[in-house]
Amino acid sequence: MKMKLILFFYLISMISFGQVRSFTGDESMLYAQTKQVNQFFRRFNGEEDATGKRLYKTDPRYRGVKLRKKYLNILFDLSSPLIPNDTKEVFILEINNKKHPIYLDFHANSWFAEVSSVFTYKGQNVSMILYFKLEQERQGYKWVLSNVHCGLFERYFNHVGESNSGNHFLHPMSHELDFMNLRKVFKDPKNIGFYLEKDYRPDQMALFLKEFQEGNMKFVSSNHVKFHFFQIPQWYFEVTYFNRNRNNSGWLISNLVRVKEKEKKEIIRNYTHEY
Amino acid sequence: MKQAVVIIIGLVLLSTGLFAQGDDDISPQRKQAIDSLALEKVRDLSKYISIIGNTDTPWSEAQRVIERAVELFMPGSEMGVSSLSKPEVHYYKVRTYFDRLMQLNYDRVVIEWYKIQYVSDLEKQPDGTYVGVITVFQRFQGYDKEKGLVYEDTTKKDITVYVKRKETQIGGRLIGFWDVLLGDIRVKETSK
Repeated sequence: MKMKLILFFYLISMISFGQVRSFTGDESMLYAQTKQVNQFFRRFNGEEDATGKRLYKTDPRYRGVKLRKKYLNILFDLSSPLIPNDTKEVFILEINNKKHPIYLDFHANSWFAEVSSVFTYKGQNVSMILYFKLEQERQGYKWVLSNVHCGLFERYFNHVGESNSGNHFLHPMSHELDFMNLRKVFKDPKNIGFYLEKDYRPDQMALFLKEFQEGNMKFVSSNHVKFHFFQIPQWYFEVTYFNRNRNNSGWLISNLVRVKEKEKKEIIRNYTHEY
Repeated sequence: MKQAVVIIIGLVLLSTGLFAQGDDDISPQRKQAIDSLALEKVRDLSKYISIIGNTDTPWSEAQRVIERAVELFMPGSEMGVSSLSKPEVHYYKVRTYFDRLMQLNYDRVVIEWYKIQYVSDLEKQPDGTYVGVITVFQRFQGYDKEKGLVYEDTTKKDITVYVKRKETQIGGRLIGFWDVLLGDIRVKETSK
């Protein structure tokens, strides 16, 4: 298998050299690299040739099983200990099944972007994770902010969802007293979480919008992007950019996990830091 | 001159039956024609960057080329630059980026472009404009008279390309064409 991969990388670079002559040095690594997320989709689906030229439906190579098999093997971070070889092989066999192949769809749901960013909060730098998903509007599509996570905001959600509130509760006859005991509820800010309904889901986005619009939070920079894919039945995988001087570089699968469909919602909630 | 020829060829090609209008989707043939126009703009940009960065270019000539380079872009376009040592993105308006490039403190600068160019699909944004990304790679070397090569990097440039259907009158006839403009550019230093 390893030999086949090396041969494929070699072929990609040979084909490229046949067409163009570099005037700065060896470009074979740049051809092998998955340079854009768009290229990740195309290679995953078997929709481009070894030079990066798009294949269309009329081309006999379009989404061909052989072509996909070659590409799928090089779309993994080959140095990742998170992806056992046998798991990878099962994954490839399932999605590249001759009778029921599975493809990625750029416009479909179930994939989203995670952007690590830096903001200032009242003058201090803070890390923030922004989550984006694609949404259709009028004639096309756009990325929309679907959630945020900031460690700074976690302190506001102490005790939320805890099943035992100790002695922090409003007794069931409080209504008869016109809720006069609310004074005790609001006495200590750190215990307010005990008094919320158990299904309450904290919304960091609302906090972010408040702080941002009041001018307390200012964007500085984004610094790292990765993508979470839940489109393939029974699988989750993550795609990250590997900036390294090797053929196995660019946008690659950095994590692959077999998951049950019914568990996906929960996993998505975990990944997006929803409570 | 060369740019004008490309635009005229583009206008003619894109308004002929080969690229029959009617639906809004871009056929593979039309996509190839648009890619060529977009790549031509990227090649112009590469050429302009090399001239602006060249220490032998007179100041007035560099200024003239900066004007040409800025015209390739949508207003408000920015360069988002990061390096291996500073992964956070630093933002520069394109004109500021070119001005900084012109003022670099080296005795000699060598800017070379790799032959590889990767062109993405075109995606439609909400207002109907198509958007794509072209990836190119550049090698930069800065030399000092006494010390020789003092700085070197290779950067990956992901260049936004906006493609919009427009119409113009030529000889009383309304001719449709695809207008191509460059947008934000992400500049990322690649691993040595």
